[in-house]
Amino acid sequence: MVKLDRRGWLALLCTELLLGNLAGCASHRVTLPVIRPPEAVFEPLQDELKKSYMTLFETASRLEYSESQIAKMQEFLKQAQDYCVGRFESTSKNHQQRVDEAQRSLKKAGVTDSERHNLHCSIQDARALKSQADVISQHAIPVAYENRQAKLELIQKWPTQQKEIQQSIDNGSYKKRRWADVEDIGFREIEKNQKDDIKLGQEAIRDLKQSGMMPKEVENEEVVAFVKRVAQKIAANSDIQVPLQITVLNSKEINAFALPGGFVFVERGLLEAADDESQLAGVIAHEMSHAVARHGRKLMTKGTVAAIVYQAAQIAAVILTGGVAGIGTYYALQYGFYGLGLTLNLSLIGVSRDFERQADQLGIQYAWRAGYDTSGYIRFFDKMATKEGYVNGASWFRSHPPFYQRMVESQREILYLPKHESAIVNTTEFMAMKQSLTKVSARAEVESAQRPSLVAPEQSCPPPSKLVYEPDKPIEAICSSPQTIPAITASAR
Amino acid sequence: MFITANHTGHHGVRQVAPLLVLATLSLAGRLGAAFNPKFETVSVYLNVEKNGDLVTGLTEQNFRLYEDGKPQSFRLEKVEEPASIAVLVEYSRSSGYFLEDIDGAMKGLLKHAQEGHWYGFATFSHELEIHTDFVKEIGLITEAYSQLGIPLWNEIDTNDAVYEMLDRIGRLPGRRILIVIGSGIDTFSEHTFDDVKKKVESENVTVFVAGVGSVFRTVYDASLGPSAQMTLMQSRAFLQMLADKSGGYAWFPTHFNAFPDVMLGMMQSVASQYRLVYDSAARGSGKFHKIRIEAFRMVDDKCEDFKVLAREGWR
Repeated sequence: MVKLDRRGWLALLCTELLLGNLAGCASHRVTLPVIRPPEAVFEPLQDELKKSYMTLFETASRLEYSESQIAKMQEFLKQAQDYCVGRFESTSKNHQQRVDEAQRSLKKAGVTDSERHNLHCSIQDARALKSQADVISQHAIPVAYENRQAKLELIQKWPTQQKEIQQSIDNGSYKKRRWADVEDIGFREIEKNQKDDIKLGQEAIRDLKQSGMMPKEVENEEVVAFVKRVAQKIAANSDIQVPLQITVLNSKEINAFALPGGFVFVERGLLEAADDESQLAGVIAHEMSHAVARHGRKLMTKGTVAAIVYQAAQIAAVILTGGVAGIGTYYALQYGFYGLGLTLNLSLIGVSRDFERQADQLGIQYAWRAGYDTSGYIRFFDKMATKEGYVNGASWFRSHPPFYQRMVESQREILYLPKHESAIVNTTEFMAMKQSLTKVSARAEVESAQRPSLVAPEQSCPPPSKLVYEPDKPIEAICSSPQTIPAITASAR
Repeated sequence: MFITANHTGHHGVRQVAPLLVLATLSLAGRLGAAFNPKFETVSVYLNVEKNGDLVTGLTEQNFRLYEDGKPQSFRLEKVEEPASIAVLVEYSRSSGYFLEDIDGAMKGLLKHAQEGHWYGFATFSHELEIHTDFVKEIGLITEAYSQLGIPLWNEIDTNDAVYEMLDRIGRLPGRRILIVIGSGIDTFSEHTFDDVKKKVESENVTVFVAGVGSVFRTVYDASLGPSAQMTLMQSRAFLQMLADKSGGYAWFPTHFNAFPDVMLGMMQSVASQYRLVYDSAARGSGKFHKIRIEAFRMVDDKCEDFKVLAREGWR
């Protein structure tokens, strides 16, 4: 008989675990990272990473961090993410164990009605907490750290790039970039025959509506009229050659999307999330650019309407939330981690990163031409990536290429554009729209609260617990940063 | 097809007298319920048919309601909108012969589902799996259905799944509907036929059934052995029981192409439901109370009777 030493047993155990569960032996850090830059560097650099992209674009050239310090910080962030994810995975496992234990207890003989009720409540509570932990570990934390890494990269590389940009402005070579002829917006041709896409878009919309994929429209006239005004203003300063059809959908998802032929859809959640008009304008301009560049048609790999409908349906499915995530989404919705835009990987369905970059560039040009503060686009992006709670909500945001690259390329385009004397950041109309929107949102919330449920709570249970986090704090705060909440515990009922 | 009741009001004396009595009882019942906490308010959802067509537009005067054989005062109230409609679909490795039917039924349902209601979607094999909790966007059900993987289990535990769904839906307020798309075959359930029957009787959930297995009703029928035929008969009887007990309807098409029409008919039934409400003195008795409802209409001094599909009783 073969004798196994401790290492052998461990290997055998791991093999067994691997056979049963491929992730069985994959372990995350169980402690906070210890390898990090010296405190004198670590603290200020951490603070820098909490600043906005716009601030960092201005200040990065004055920051002095060595390559090794940056590299150590990168490593720290990786480990911190690993630790943070591991912590929530562990939390998830603990709650699953609670579920399993309670389910075992249910099968024991002689369980009284009262005990059964309590066990049901316990299972319900544990499932809710598990779902929250899963959403945080699988989606929110990776997004938050990706954003931190992007900012670190910005601190590292932006000063050099800024110099290059300035050089190209000084020597005029920036005018050789693609679509540099911004003075001719409206008179140049980004793509021929945009009108050929109209029928395609109409068919896609019809199919989406028929299949129930399209959320209902917002019926508040003030909200709709305002969004249409902003969109038309941008359209009038763009290269769009087809009539713009703007629709405001009553969905809490932070999202906007375009279908071929000039059909742009804006979600209620996006309006709620935008802080000012320039942010909204930036996103609408981006989506409009997809129609201008005819990206929708190009996505049709099979050249059929069905293909584009499939694309739209995929997007709509994410917009609408649910479906894929099933009950997990239900809980996610319950606790504000709505959206799960993460479920959509556009690369799988053929969306090219180039298309996004093109739409970024054109969108910034159109927003600029319409008189908006072009930084609104970046500020909105930043907000989506930074704030816990938003991180999960923006499928629009999540489905796009890496942060750093997009931020830098967007900022480069902004720098190439002539400065406006008084670019529009916000307007009283925007604030009035937000006011009207609160009524729409409140009504939607009421309906949401009246929603029946197949996974409805056992009657008379205490409200389900919620994982602790402090609103408005970056998501890292809940698990990795030394200054933040140390324990992931269920809040008091 | 719908038949709309005409409201000419040419009641004959013979027919008017009992109606006046019922109207008086109705008023008295309402007043009584207001002051007597011993009454149990019972809602009865029903469809009215004439030669297979749904009849709409009837008024309170067109109905009579009996509980345990005794006439009851009642009121015709609007059905609650939106309804909570749960779709339960058999999805097992053993459902191979039925998959075409199941797919036809699901696609028909997704095509004809009326907007505005809440829809939930679950499948079952050895256990119940809820894929989509109640949503108003049919697209989410479409999405969830399109993402069902290959079924892994051989069991078809219909009794357990129906029982559990009735239990879950039964807790909800308002109008509750369960749509069952399945063969009715049961392989290994813990709950018996009688368990499910009692559950249907005690939960006020209308069950509509799309019975799959059209190939066994046509192509393979002749080649089935007695045992298989018995299994299919029992399965069908189970599904029929669900519909009969709850006031729903069970369809058993003989070709998968018929399923879209079946689902259209189902949604028309949902849209054409009436709701009669009465206050029963039998509160808390725990035993089964039989309900009988008559629907009729006076046409040229002649009483035209309709077929009523309503729950058989309540517990």
